[in-house]
Amino acid sequence: MPTQQTAARSADEPGFGPRPGESGGEVCRLVRDPIDGAAVLAAVAAVAAPEAGGNVLFLGSTRGVTAGVTTLGLDYEAHEPLALAMLRDLAAEAVRRFGLCGCRIVHRLGRVAVGEASIAIAASSPHRREAFAATEWLLERIKTTVPIWKCEEGHDGVRSWVHPGDMRTGLGGGE
Amino acid sequence: MHNDPDTVNSPAHPAAGRLFVTLFAGMAESVGSRRLEIDWNGGTVADLRHVVGRERPGIGPLLERSAIVVAGRYATDDTAVACGADVAIIPPVSGG
Repeated sequence: MPTQQTAARSADEPGFGPRPGESGGEVCRLVRDPIDGAAVLAAVAAVAAPEAGGNVLFLGSTRGVTAGVTTLGLDYEAHEPLALAMLRDLAAEAVRRFGLCGCRIVHRLGRVAVGEASIAIAASSPHRREAFAATEWLLERIKTTVPIWKCEEGHDGVRSWVHPGDMRTGLGGGE
Repeated sequence: MHNDPDTVNSPAHPAAGRLFVTLFAGMAESVGSRRLEIDWNGGTVADLRHVVGRERPGIGPLLERSAIVVAGRYATDDTAVACGADVAIIPPVSGG
């Protein structure tokens, strides 16, 4: 866990602290630079203290090999205004539903190399179960409802957009 | 798919009787543009699906699985789409 000193410093970093008009409890960002997971977690922990007793960080990263097939990298794009609005709505709902003290969602756009994080979700709550549950709940909804797409580049350089599911009869999203 | 010439150099607003539809990801790649311009004199989302599918049959299967966003909100098939509306097609998502 970050120290209080580290948390205070990281919370001031552009990108993860609340901006004018934003609630300090929920902050969502779409970014094009690498995600600093520690800074995301520190920012949410700083806002949530001293009520927080469980601070969970999920980092989703680009897999280099899936079922024996090599991936060179992923490219992400989004309907940015709608994606950001939906992330904010989801974060606010997560705070209400799970009684969170704070929540951060950061999704990367553009090229994400193997091993780099495409998404960071941080949840802070008085007790650990709610923080774990909220993180999982948020990830599932982001993957199936928020207008963000990935394009996989295979080992042979072939690029393919990933469009699983059905947005009309159900939801998108996959692994 | 960045800086598509037909998006960068074309006007910001469609002419009368035309509608711009914003495309993303695999749908934009199939069409070769992030923006599709269609004949439009008003109608519903269902009408819009029909017109887009007729003009670009190659994206039909993906269009069938896609949602439509009108003025920044997910729309249903009976949602009205006015001339000049802000319309986007949202193929199945895969973020995270």
